[in-house]
Amino acid sequence: MSSFFRFIAKHTAYLYFLLYCCISILLMQLQRKETLDAIHERGLAINASLADRLSEVSAVFSLKRDNELLFLQNARLFSRLLYQEDAIHDARALNTIIGNKPVWVDQFRVARVVDRRFSETDNMLIINIGRQQGVIRNMTVLTPDGLVGRVIDVSANYAKVLPVINRNFMVSVVSDSTRTTGLLSWQNGDERIAHMGHVPLSSRLLVGEQLITSDYSTFATRGIPVGQIIRISKDKLFYKIDVRLAVDFSTLSHVLVSPATPPREKVELMTSPDIPEKGR
Amino acid sequence: MKKFSIYTAALFILPFVQHFAISKLLLMHTSPDLLAIFIAFISMSVGQRTGTSFGFAAGLISGFLSGNPGLGSLIGSSQGLLAGLFHVPEEKHATSVKKKRMFYGASLTSVITGKTLLSLFSDPLSLPIYVRLPEAIILGSLMSMLLSVIIWHVGLKKMVKD
Repeated sequence: MSSFFRFIAKHTAYLYFLLYCCISILLMQLQRKETLDAIHERGLAINASLADRLSEVSAVFSLKRDNELLFLQNARLFSRLLYQEDAIHDARALNTIIGNKPVWVDQFRVARVVDRRFSETDNMLIINIGRQQGVIRNMTVLTPDGLVGRVIDVSANYAKVLPVINRNFMVSVVSDSTRTTGLLSWQNGDERIAHMGHVPLSSRLLVGEQLITSDYSTFATRGIPVGQIIRISKDKLFYKIDVRLAVDFSTLSHVLVSPATPPREKVELMTSPDIPEKGR
Repeated sequence: MKKFSIYTAALFILPFVQHFAISKLLLMHTSPDLLAIFIAFISMSVGQRTGTSFGFAAGLISGFLSGNPGLGSLIGSSQGLLAGLFHVPEEKHATSVKKKRMFYGASLTSVITGKTLLSLFSDPLSLPIYVRLPEAIILGSLMSMLLSVIIWHVGLKKMVKD
């Protein structure tokens, strides 16, 4: 053993040389591009692996936040989906309406109110179009705001209109949200306030609902705005409902006359006697 | 200690001198090798181990300058090791003539070693081996020996006597 150490001590220069040779060869290997590329590639792999492990660890701590973000994102996407489904539904409905539009569309006639009789009980309007302009009895008179009344008499160039604010006027209406039907009429007093009757206490009518004409009307087509419910109170069997009318009669100067009327067959059936004939 | 400081300073200066000045003295693609002479002198005067280390360091610096540190350090180490065979221990009190002979021997060995290894492992001019090897060894040795004679007489002779 001691002779080995003596040999080593005597020939340290060769050991140094061996060491230097190793370093030199290592440097030469490092200089080769493929060696450098291999080292670089290995380093990249180690780096990526470490980063992956670290991200896995940090992901555990951020799971709650990630979940919240995902939930929010999900909610956003869901709302967009709903919106788009609604839009598609509306588009389809619109296409159906356009495809099946009745003949009277685009045939409204514009008339000017040439005379009016306003009182606390009986109000009446005279408009400047009549038989010659195609106006007949029971046509609906309206404005873009809502229902004005119905034509009750016609001359060659004029027509008499029974407005909503007349004690003899009645129209079947339906609420837009709860689809509750009733009969709208006007009593004496405020020209902006009408009343909705025949609404049973079991109905779920709400204040603020809009009222439109219903299918049950004998002269008006459905869907014409009439007014808005402003007050609901209970009576014995029915609700007492106050309605703010959509049309301001105090400033009424021009109206539209709609040629659309409910089907005649339906009206005849509705107005026929309810008692069956005897002997049959 | 003073000598070692001078050797260390030379270790850092001479590679630059070789790279930027001596290597420009080309004769048939070959130039004298000042570093080989320096390493030979260190190995001869100080010892084989120190010569090998100095050779490695000088070759490494030179290699960095030329763009091939691996080969440079290998050549330097080999030069130091082989030139170390001509080491003259101080306790032997050798004569100036013997030291001169040993220096020339070490220089020749170092130069031949360096030129041979360089020709074998590096071929920047794409010359065939049977052309570049004799050229490098013969011409390189002649030019380097001429330089070593000049250096010996200019400064090393006095340094060895001291």
